[in-house]
Amino acid sequence: MEESDGAVIAGSLETPGAFGIIFDRHGSTLLRFLARRVNPADAEDLLGEVFRIAFERRSTFERDRDSARPWLYGIAANVVAKHHQSEARRLRAMARVSAGRPLDDDPAERAVAAADAGALWARVMAAFRTLPEAERQVLLLFAWEELSYDEIALALGVPVGTVRSRLSRGRARLAALTRGRDTTTDVPLTPCDAGGER
Amino acid sequence: MTDDLEPLRRSRPDRLLPDDPPDPEILVREKARLMSAITGPHGAVEHRRSPSIYPRLAYRDEVAALEFLTRAFGLVERRESRMEHPAGMLAWLEIGDGMVMIGRAGEERHGLHSPLETGAPTAMVNVYVHDIDTHYRRAESEGAQIVMPLEDMFWGDRRYEALDLEGHRWHFAERASEIRAGPPTQ
Repeated sequence: MEESDGAVIAGSLETPGAFGIIFDRHGSTLLRFLARRVNPADAEDLLGEVFRIAFERRSTFERDRDSARPWLYGIAANVVAKHHQSEARRLRAMARVSAGRPLDDDPAERAVAAADAGALWARVMAAFRTLPEAERQVLLLFAWEELSYDEIALALGVPVGTVRSRLSRGRARLAALTRGRDTTTDVPLTPCDAGGER
Repeated sequence: MTDDLEPLRRSRPDRLLPDDPPDPEILVREKARLMSAITGPHGAVEHRRSPSIYPRLAYRDEVAALEFLTRAFGLVERRESRMEHPAGMLAWLEIGDGMVMIGRAGEERHGLHSPLETGAPTAMVNVYVHDIDTHYRRAESEGAQIVMPLEDMFWGDRRYEALDLEGHRWHFAERASEIRAGPPTQ
Protein backbone atom coordinates (compact mmCIF):
# COMPACT_ATOMS: atom_id res chain seq x y z
CA MET A 1 0.00 0.00 0.00
CA GLU A 2 1.42 3.36 -1.05
CA GLU A 3 1.68 6.08 1.57
CA SER A 4 -0.99 8.77 1.23
CA ASP A 5 0.05 12.23 0.11
CA GLY A 6 -0.87 13.47 3.58
CA ALA A 7 1.61 11.06 5.16
CA VAL A 8 4.33 11.90 2.63
CA ILE A 9 3.92 15.64 3.21
CA ALA A 10 3.88 15.18 6.99
CA GLY A 11 7.11 13.19 6.64
CA SER A 12 8.63 15.96 4.53
CA LEU A 13 8.47 18.32 7.51
CA GLU A 14 11.24 16.19 9.05
CA THR A 15 12.86 15.03 5.82
CA PRO A 16 12.33 17.77 3.20
CA GLY A 17 13.64 15.61 0.36
CA ALA A 18 10.58 13.36 0.68
CA PHE A 19 8.57 16.17 -0.93
CA GLY A 20 10.02 14.98 -4.25
CA ILE A 21 7.50 12.12 -4.11
CA ILE A 22 4.70 14.67 -4.34
CA PHE A 23 6.29 16.03 -7.51
CA ASP A 24 6.62 12.51 -8.92
CA ARG A 25 2.95 11.83 -8.30
CA HIS A 26 1.42 15.08 -9.51
CA GLY A 27 4.02 17.02 -11.50
CA SER A 28 2.89 15.82 -14.92
CA THR A 29 -0.80 16.46 -14.16
CA LEU A 30 -0.02 19.99 -13.03
CA LEU A 31 2.21 20.62 -16.02
CA ARG A 32 -0.59 19.63 -18.34
CA PHE A 33 -3.03 21.85 -16.45
CA LEU A 34 -0.66 24.79 -16.79
CA ALA A 35 0.03 24.08 -20.45
CA ARG A 36 -3.72 24.27 -21.11
CA ARG A 37 -4.10 27.52 -19.27
CA VAL A 38 -1.09 29.64 -20.17
CA ASN A 39 1.28 30.03 -23.05
CA PRO A 40 3.10 26.70 -23.24
CA ALA A 41 6.43 28.50 -23.04
CA ASP A 42 5.43 29.83 -19.60
CA ALA A 43 4.10 26.54 -18.27
CA GLU A 44 7.47 25.22 -17.18
CA ASP A 45 8.31 28.30 -15.11
CA LEU A 46 4.90 28.25 -13.49
CA LEU A 47 5.26 24.57 -12.67
CA GLY A 48 8.40 25.37 -10.69
CA GLU A 49 6.58 28.21 -8.95
CA VAL A 50 3.65 25.97 -7.99
CA PHE A 51 5.86 23.37 -6.36
CA ARG A 52 8.06 25.90 -4.59
CA ILE A 53 4.95 27.51 -3.09
CA ALA A 54 3.54 24.09 -2.19
CA PHE A 55 6.79 23.15 -0.48
CA GLU A 56 6.85 26.35 1.56
CA ARG A 57 3.24 25.88 2.63
CA ARG A 58 3.41 22.15 3.26
CA SER A 59 2.89 22.53 7.00
CA THR A 60 -0.63 23.81 6.28
CA PHE A 61 -1.59 20.65 4.37
CA GLU A 62 -3.92 18.48 6.41
CA ARG A 63 -2.16 15.21 6.95
CA ASP A 64 -5.27 13.02 6.87
CA ARG A 65 -5.93 13.92 3.25
CA ASP A 66 -5.21 11.19 0.74
CA SER A 67 -4.48 13.32 -2.28
CA ALA A 68 -2.62 16.59 -2.60
CA ARG A 69 -3.94 17.09 -6.11
CA PRO A 70 -6.83 19.49 -5.36
CA TRP A 71 -4.53 21.53 -3.12
CA LEU A 72 -1.91 21.73 -5.88
CA TYR A 73 -4.59 22.69 -8.40
CA GLY A 74 -5.60 25.52 -6.07
CA ILE A 75 -2.05 26.84 -5.89
CA ALA A 76 -1.73 26.50 -9.66
CA ALA A 77 -5.03 28.32 -10.26
CA ASN A 78 -3.70 31.25 -8.23
CA VAL A 79 -0.44 31.23 -10.09
CA VAL A 80 -2.34 31.27 -13.40
CA ALA A 81 -4.46 34.17 -12.18
CA LYS A 82 -1.28 36.16 -11.60
CA HIS A 83 -0.28 35.55 -15.20
CA HIS A 84 -3.52 36.52 -16.88
CA GLN A 85 -1.76 38.08 -19.84
CA SER A 86 -0.25 34.74 -20.67
CA GLU A 87 -3.66 33.14 -20.15
CA ALA A 88 -5.32 35.64 -22.46
CA ARG A 89 -2.75 34.91 -25.15
CA ARG A 90 -3.41 31.21 -24.78
CA LEU A 91 -7.18 31.66 -25.11
CA ARG A 92 -6.80 33.87 -28.18
CA ALA A 93 -4.54 31.32 -29.80
CA MET A 94 -7.02 28.54 -29.05
CA ALA A 95 -9.88 30.60 -30.45
CA ARG A 96 -7.93 30.93 -33.69
CA VAL A 97 -7.25 27.21 -33.81
CA SER A 98 -10.83 26.27 -33.01
CA ALA A 99 -12.29 28.68 -35.56
CA GLY A 100 -10.64 26.82 -38.39
CA ARG A 101 -11.38 23.41 -37.04
CA PRO A 102 -13.58 21.08 -39.07
CA LEU A 103 -16.45 19.40 -37.31
CA ASP A 104 -16.19 16.03 -35.76
CA ASP A 105 -18.85 13.51 -36.43
CA ASP A 106 -20.76 14.52 -33.37
CA PRO A 107 -24.53 14.32 -33.08
CA ALA A 108 -24.69 17.48 -31.00
CA GLU A 109 -22.89 19.36 -33.71
CA ARG A 110 -24.70 17.90 -36.66
CA ALA A 111 -27.66 19.83 -35.39
CA VAL A 112 -25.71 23.01 -35.87
CA ALA A 113 -25.42 24.25 -39.42
CA ALA A 114 -21.91 23.40 -40.58
CA ALA A 115 -21.11 26.99 -41.45
CA ASP A 116 -21.94 28.13 -37.94
CA ALA A 117 -20.04 25.47 -36.14
CA GLY A 118 -16.52 26.76 -36.64
CA ALA A 119 -17.71 30.12 -35.44
CA LEU A 120 -19.29 28.45 -32.42
CA TRP A 121 -15.92 27.23 -31.22
CA ALA A 122 -14.45 30.66 -31.57
CA ARG A 123 -17.43 32.20 -29.80
CA VAL A 124 -17.04 29.82 -26.86
CA MET A 125 -13.40 30.78 -26.40
CA ALA A 126 -14.08 34.46 -26.89
CA ALA A 127 -17.03 34.40 -24.51
CA PHE A 128 -15.01 32.52 -22.00
CA ARG A 129 -12.40 35.25 -21.88
CA THR A 130 -14.99 37.77 -20.75
CA LEU A 131 -16.15 35.76 -17.72
CA PRO A 132 -15.06 36.89 -14.26
CA GLU A 133 -11.92 35.20 -13.01
CA ALA A 134 -13.71 33.29 -10.22
CA GLU A 135 -16.22 31.74 -12.61
CA ARG A 136 -13.55 30.92 -15.17
CA GLN A 137 -11.50 29.04 -12.58
CA VAL A 138 -14.46 26.95 -11.45
CA LEU A 139 -15.66 26.21 -14.98
CA LEU A 140 -12.25 25.04 -16.11
CA LEU A 141 -11.48 22.94 -13.04
CA PHE A 142 -14.82 21.27 -13.67
CA ALA A 143 -14.92 20.96 -17.46
CA TRP A 144 -11.25 20.56 -18.31
CA GLU A 145 -9.70 19.02 -15.22
CA GLU A 146 -12.78 16.98 -14.28
CA LEU A 147 -12.51 17.72 -10.58
CA SER A 148 -15.56 17.08 -8.40
CA TYR A 149 -17.40 19.89 -6.60
CA ASP A 150 -15.70 18.86 -3.36
CA GLU A 151 -12.27 18.89 -4.95
CA ILE A 152 -12.86 22.32 -6.49
CA ALA A 153 -14.00 23.62 -3.10
CA LEU A 154 -10.80 22.27 -1.55
CA ALA A 155 -8.67 23.70 -4.33
CA LEU A 156 -10.10 27.19 -4.17
CA GLY A 157 -10.73 27.25 -0.43
CA VAL A 158 -14.41 28.10 -0.79
CA PRO A 159 -17.55 26.26 0.39
CA VAL A 160 -19.10 23.69 -1.94
CA GLY A 161 -22.19 25.88 -2.20
CA THR A 162 -20.06 28.65 -3.66
CA VAL A 163 -18.64 26.23 -6.20
CA ARG A 164 -22.16 25.25 -7.25
CA SER A 165 -23.37 28.81 -7.59
CA ARG A 166 -20.27 29.98 -9.49
CA LEU A 167 -20.57 27.02 -11.79
CA SER A 168 -24.22 27.59 -12.58
CA ARG A 169 -23.70 31.33 -13.02
CA GLY A 170 -20.70 30.78 -15.24
CA ARG A 171 -22.54 28.17 -17.21
CA ALA A 172 -25.55 30.39 -17.82
CA ARG A 173 -23.39 33.33 -18.77
CA LEU A 174 -21.29 31.23 -21.10
CA ALA A 175 -24.38 29.79 -22.79
CA ALA A 176 -25.84 33.27 -23.24
CA LEU A 177 -22.59 34.72 -24.54
CA THR A 178 -22.12 31.86 -26.93
CA ARG A 179 -25.55 32.44 -28.38
CA GLY A 180 -24.52 36.02 -28.94
CA ARG A 181 -26.64 37.72 -26.31
CA ASP A 182 -25.87 38.39 -22.71
CA THR A 183 -29.17 37.66 -20.99
CA THR A 184 -27.91 39.05 -17.71
CA THR A 185 -28.12 42.51 -19.25
CA ASP A 186 -30.14 41.63 -22.33
CA VAL A 187 -27.87 43.73 -24.46
CA PRO A 188 -26.60 42.21 -27.68
CA LEU A 189 -22.91 41.63 -27.49
CA THR A 190 -20.60 43.40 -29.82
CA PRO A 191 -19.10 40.94 -32.30
CA CYS A 192 -15.97 41.33 -30.16
CA ASP A 193 -12.74 39.81 -31.32
CA ALA A 194 -13.80 36.27 -31.93
CA GLY A 195 -11.21 35.99 -34.66
CA GLY A 196 -8.42 36.48 -32.16
CA GLU A 197 -5.63 39.00 -32.17
CA ARG A 198 -4.40 40.33 -35.45
CA MET B 1 -30.82 17.94 -24.31
CA THR B 2 -27.14 18.50 -24.81
CA ASP B 3 -24.86 19.56 -22.05
CA ASP B 4 -24.18 23.26 -22.39
CA LEU B 5 -20.63 22.77 -21.15
CA GLU B 6 -19.80 20.40 -23.97
CA PRO B 7 -18.36 23.08 -26.29
CA LEU B 8 -16.11 24.28 -23.48
CA ARG B 9 -15.10 20.74 -22.58
CA ARG B 10 -14.16 20.06 -26.15
CA SER B 11 -12.26 23.32 -26.45
CA ARG B 12 -9.62 21.99 -24.12
CA PRO B 13 -6.38 22.70 -25.98
CA ASP B 14 -5.14 19.13 -25.92
CA ARG B 15 -8.46 17.90 -27.28
CA LEU B 16 -8.45 20.45 -30.08
CA LEU B 17 -4.87 19.63 -30.93
CA PRO B 18 -4.41 16.07 -29.75
CA ASP B 19 -0.76 15.41 -29.69
CA ASP B 20 1.81 13.91 -27.48
CA PRO B 21 2.00 15.24 -23.94
CA PRO B 22 4.46 17.95 -22.93
CA ASP B 23 8.15 17.20 -23.17
CA PRO B 24 9.05 14.85 -20.28
CA GLU B 25 12.39 16.60 -20.10
CA ILE B 26 10.59 19.58 -18.56
CA LEU B 27 9.52 17.43 -15.64
CA VAL B 28 12.97 15.99 -15.11
CA ARG B 29 14.44 19.50 -15.18
CA GLU B 30 11.85 21.00 -12.85
CA LYS B 31 12.15 18.14 -10.40
CA ALA B 32 15.93 18.63 -10.30
CA ARG B 33 15.41 22.36 -9.65
CA LEU B 34 12.88 21.69 -6.93
CA MET B 35 15.11 19.17 -5.21
CA SER B 36 18.12 21.46 -5.27
CA ALA B 37 15.96 24.27 -3.84
CA ILE B 38 14.75 21.93 -1.09
CA THR B 39 17.89 20.12 -0.11
CA GLY B 40 20.58 22.54 -1.29
CA PRO B 41 23.13 21.98 -4.01
CA HIS B 42 24.55 18.90 -2.31
CA GLY B 43 21.29 17.02 -2.44
CA ALA B 44 20.63 18.05 -6.01
CA VAL B 45 19.42 15.34 -8.30
CA GLU B 46 21.52 14.89 -11.37
CA HIS B 47 19.68 16.20 -14.36
CA ARG B 48 20.27 13.84 -17.23
CA ARG B 49 19.24 14.72 -20.69
CA SER B 50 17.40 12.19 -22.76
CA PRO B 51 19.63 10.36 -25.23
CA SER B 52 19.49 11.60 -28.80
CA ILE B 53 17.80 8.43 -29.92
CA TYR B 54 15.45 6.16 -28.03
CA PRO B 55 12.67 3.82 -29.11
CA ARG B 56 9.02 3.91 -28.18
CA LEU B 57 7.48 0.49 -27.55
CA ALA B 58 3.76 -0.14 -27.71
CA TYR B 59 1.83 -2.42 -25.40
CA ARG B 60 -1.79 -3.40 -25.03
CA ASP B 61 -1.33 -3.11 -21.29
CA GLU B 62 1.35 -0.50 -20.75
CA VAL B 63 0.86 -0.49 -16.98
CA ALA B 64 1.59 -4.21 -16.73
CA ALA B 65 4.54 -3.69 -19.08
CA LEU B 66 6.01 -1.01 -16.85
CA GLU B 67 5.74 -3.30 -13.86
CA PHE B 68 7.30 -6.20 -15.75
CA LEU B 69 10.19 -4.27 -17.28
CA THR B 70 11.24 -2.84 -13.92
CA ARG B 71 10.83 -6.14 -12.09
CA ALA B 72 12.29 -8.56 -14.61
CA PHE B 73 14.76 -6.48 -16.63
CA GLY B 74 15.80 -3.93 -14.02
CA LEU B 75 14.78 -0.83 -15.96
CA VAL B 76 14.22 2.24 -13.81
CA GLU B 77 11.36 4.59 -14.45
CA ARG B 78 11.83 8.36 -14.55
CA ARG B 79 8.94 8.52 -12.19
CA GLU B 80 8.48 12.28 -12.39
CA SER B 81 7.87 12.06 -16.12
CA ARG B 82 5.01 9.58 -16.06
CA MET B 83 1.94 10.84 -17.91
CA GLU B 84 -1.34 9.31 -16.85
CA HIS B 85 -4.24 9.74 -19.15
CA PRO B 86 -7.55 7.93 -19.58
CA ALA B 87 -6.35 7.01 -23.07
CA GLY B 88 -3.19 5.38 -21.76
CA MET B 89 -0.09 5.98 -19.74
CA LEU B 90 3.28 7.08 -21.07
CA ALA B 91 6.44 6.24 -19.18
CA TRP B 92 10.17 6.67 -19.75
CA LEU B 93 12.48 3.94 -18.50
CA GLU B 94 16.22 4.11 -18.13
CA ILE B 95 18.97 1.57 -17.91
CA GLY B 96 22.59 2.73 -17.86
CA ASP B 97 22.71 5.77 -20.12
CA GLY B 98 19.95 4.51 -22.39
CA MET B 99 16.22 4.98 -22.38
CA VAL B 100 13.02 3.54 -23.80
CA MET B 101 9.58 5.08 -23.86
CA ILE B 102 6.50 2.93 -23.49
CA GLY B 103 2.89 3.68 -24.32
CA ARG B 104 -0.34 2.06 -25.36
CA ALA B 105 -0.65 0.36 -28.73
CA GLY B 106 -3.17 1.56 -31.26
CA GLU B 107 -3.78 3.04 -34.68
CA GLU B 108 -4.25 6.48 -33.13
CA ARG B 109 -1.09 6.02 -31.06
CA HIS B 110 1.31 6.72 -33.90
CA GLY B 111 0.15 3.50 -35.56
CA LEU B 112 2.30 1.44 -33.22
CA HIS B 113 1.30 -2.09 -32.36
CA SER B 114 2.15 -4.69 -29.81
CA PRO B 115 3.65 -7.98 -31.01
CA LEU B 116 0.50 -9.50 -29.52
CA GLU B 117 -1.35 -7.86 -32.41
CA THR B 118 1.20 -8.18 -35.19
CA GLY B 119 2.19 -11.74 -34.30
CA ALA B 120 5.89 -10.93 -34.24
CA PRO B 121 8.25 -8.25 -33.04
CA THR B 122 9.71 -6.02 -35.73
CA ALA B 123 12.64 -4.68 -33.77
CA MET B 124 14.98 -5.70 -31.00
CA VAL B 125 16.18 -3.50 -28.16
CA ASN B 126 19.87 -3.97 -27.39
CA VAL B 127 21.00 -3.28 -23.86
CA TYR B 128 24.41 -3.46 -22.21
CA VAL B 129 24.27 -4.25 -18.50
CA HIS B 130 26.69 -4.95 -15.68
CA ASP B 131 26.78 -8.49 -14.30
CA ILE B 132 24.89 -10.25 -17.05
CA ASP B 133 24.69 -13.52 -15.10
CA THR B 134 22.69 -11.97 -12.30
CA HIS B 135 20.57 -10.09 -14.83
CA TYR B 136 19.82 -13.33 -16.65
CA ARG B 137 18.81 -15.21 -13.50
CA ARG B 138 16.54 -12.41 -12.44
CA ALA B 139 14.82 -12.15 -15.83
CA GLU B 140 14.31 -15.88 -16.00
CA SER B 141 12.92 -16.21 -12.48
CA GLU B 142 10.60 -13.22 -13.01
CA GLY B 143 8.96 -14.82 -16.00
CA ALA B 144 10.74 -13.45 -19.06
CA GLN B 145 10.67 -15.88 -21.96
CA ILE B 146 14.29 -16.69 -22.78
CA VAL B 147 14.66 -17.16 -26.53
CA MET B 148 18.47 -17.32 -26.78
CA PRO B 149 20.40 -18.76 -23.87
CA LEU B 150 23.11 -16.90 -22.01
CA GLU B 151 26.39 -17.62 -23.77
CA ASP B 152 29.80 -16.22 -24.68
CA MET B 153 29.95 -14.98 -28.22
CA PHE B 154 32.99 -15.13 -30.45
CA TRP B 155 33.29 -11.31 -30.48
CA GLY B 156 33.63 -11.31 -26.72
CA ASP B 157 30.21 -10.30 -25.43
CA ARG B 158 28.27 -12.53 -23.12
CA ARG B 159 24.61 -12.27 -23.99
CA TYR B 160 21.07 -13.65 -23.98
CA GLU B 161 17.79 -12.70 -25.63
CA ALA B 162 14.36 -12.63 -24.06
CA LEU B 163 10.79 -11.66 -24.86
CA ASP B 164 8.84 -9.43 -22.53
CA LEU B 165 5.25 -10.10 -21.57
CA GLU B 166 3.83 -8.93 -24.91
CA GLY B 167 6.59 -10.36 -27.07
CA HIS B 168 8.93 -7.42 -27.65
CA ARG B 169 12.41 -8.81 -28.10
CA TRP B 170 15.29 -7.69 -25.89
CA HIS B 171 18.99 -8.47 -26.22
CA PHE B 172 21.01 -8.15 -23.03
CA ALA B 173 24.79 -8.32 -23.05
CA GLU B 174 27.87 -7.51 -21.08
CA ARG B 175 31.04 -6.45 -22.86
CA ALA B 176 33.98 -8.81 -22.58
CA SER B 177 36.24 -5.95 -21.44
CA GLU B 178 33.94 -5.24 -18.50
CA ILE B 179 33.70 -8.88 -17.54
CA ARG B 180 37.51 -9.03 -17.40
CA ALA B 181 37.74 -5.80 -15.43
CA GLY B 182 35.33 -7.03 -12.75
CA PRO B 183 32.42 -5.15 -11.18
CA PRO B 184 32.20 -1.35 -11.58
CA THR B 185 33.93 0.54 -8.80
CA GLN B 186 31.34 3.21 -7.97
